[in-house]
Amino acid sequence: MLRRENRKKRAFLTARCLIVGVAVGSVRAGSIGALFLVTMGFSGRASAQDAAAFFRQNCASCHTIGGGRTTGPDLKGAHERRSRAWLERFILDPPGTIASGDATATKLQREARGVVMPRVAGVTPTVVGQLIDLMRAESALERSQFAGMASAQRPLTRADEALGRALFSGARRLEAGGPPCMSCHTVRGLGALGGGRLGPDLTGTYGKLGGQQALATWLASPPSLTMQPVFKGHPLTPDEALGLVAYLKSAGSRGGAAETSSVNFVLLGLVGSIFSLVLFDFTWRRRFRAVRRPLVTGGKR
Amino acid sequence: MLDGLLTSLDGILLGTLPYVVMALCLIGTIHRYRSQAFTYSSLSSQFLENRHHFWGSVPFHYGILTLTAGHLVGFAIPRSVLAWNAVPVRLYVIEVAAFVAGLLTLVGLVNIVVRRLTDSKSRIVTSGIDWAVYLLLLSQTVTGLGTAMFYGWGSSWFASSASPYLWSLVTLQPDVSYVTALPWFVKLHVIGAWLLIGLFPFSRLVHILVVPNPYLWRKWQMVRWYWDRRTIRRAE
Repeated sequence: MLRRENRKKRAFLTARCLIVGVAVGSVRAGSIGALFLVTMGFSGRASAQDAAAFFRQNCASCHTIGGGRTTGPDLKGAHERRSRAWLERFILDPPGTIASGDATATKLQREARGVVMPRVAGVTPTVVGQLIDLMRAESALERSQFAGMASAQRPLTRADEALGRALFSGARRLEAGGPPCMSCHTVRGLGALGGGRLGPDLTGTYGKLGGQQALATWLASPPSLTMQPVFKGHPLTPDEALGLVAYLKSAGSRGGAAETSSVNFVLLGLVGSIFSLVLFDFTWRRRFRAVRRPLVTGGKR
Repeated sequence: MLDGLLTSLDGILLGTLPYVVMALCLIGTIHRYRSQAFTYSSLSSQFLENRHHFWGSVPFHYGILTLTAGHLVGFAIPRSVLAWNAVPVRLYVIEVAAFVAGLLTLVGLVNIVVRRLTDSKSRIVTSGIDWAVYLLLLSQTVTGLGTAMFYGWGSSWFASSASPYLWSLVTLQPDVSYVTALPWFVKLHVIGAWLLIGLFPFSRLVHILVVPNPYLWRKWQMVRWYWDRRTIRRAE
């Protein structure tokens, strides 16, 4: 009887808490609604962005306008080489255009060493129109603001490589406060348990992206959806980018992929856990482990 | 179409859900304390069965407390965590220690669940909300261990991705872009954490707020038995 009462009381209490929660939620509906709109609206924010800022943030890592080929083609005069309709279709959905068997798109992918241009978050037909207009305007200039990093082609030195290694592991902090590469990436020759596994192994990146200038430009404003928010307020300096390029070039020259370290990591974890359990058992070996049992055995003595 | 749907889902689960559960947790916790203060307990079943209980409760609590503290440190002082992790050996020590804590949590949790299922007395005192909490905790532990194994080094990228996301929520300027591109496995861990916070006021998790912490630093107490139990038993 008492138990049923308690259960009723608890159910009533739970219901009341839920009602109060929902009620307060409704009172705060304005602010929560606003927050909802903010979070829901981030995909549409790009349409309101200035085309140049959008290009810098999303396109400049793989393309220049008048600075030569990097990972993707130089876009100077792209509006003359392709029709506006084709450009609109391709920029809106590059993987879809390639998958449709479009000959030009397939050729571009081949030229980019198989790298597929991703669908860019926030790209709408309006944004695409603004981007094409931007390409046309920048192509007409003697030197576009998107001509690429001026220092990206200087010869790499041993000091660059040493700097890159220190930046990769975090031994030297990135000037603008970005996290070290090792948090999410690994590379061949890092040793011990290697680097992070959230992002891809960067051992072959130098070759895959197409060399020094392409990789340096990519690092200047990484376009990947995971890295973009992290580095948007903490961009790499040109020297840092070149240091990392030198380190990745050297890592890639050794060939192969990074050593796998997951097994060692799991084994260390298992050993540590077993040790902890043994320690628990030893520490509490005189622990009072039952109530009735010792009474019974004690009584029999 | 599908992209839009997933983006909306990310917005709801990572941007709106946290505010709903935090409001629910805060109001529910205060309300329960004001109306039923004596239900603030872990409702321990240690007296019903103590052998199996030891291998559940002890590893679980050592593991989960270490992990919770680690997550809080990553949230509160991310720059310091990154500075600590700048030396690979220190990073490895943190990561392996966290993984060990995760495994201890799993061992403890599995023992707790098995005990609750197999011991008839413990089973009787286990409510529906307890099972919901165990299920969520198991999911959290498995996704956490999976994240450590397949998406390391979490202690570093938590400081640069999850921490800014959490701070954006705290400052009422939610920016889910920090976490939307993370693997679904990791996102499952984040969403599970919000659900646990939502369940907090309705479950025995509230005992976290009434842990007798002063036991850790109060003066020790000596208990003396002024009689010989065996003599007394013989006299009876």
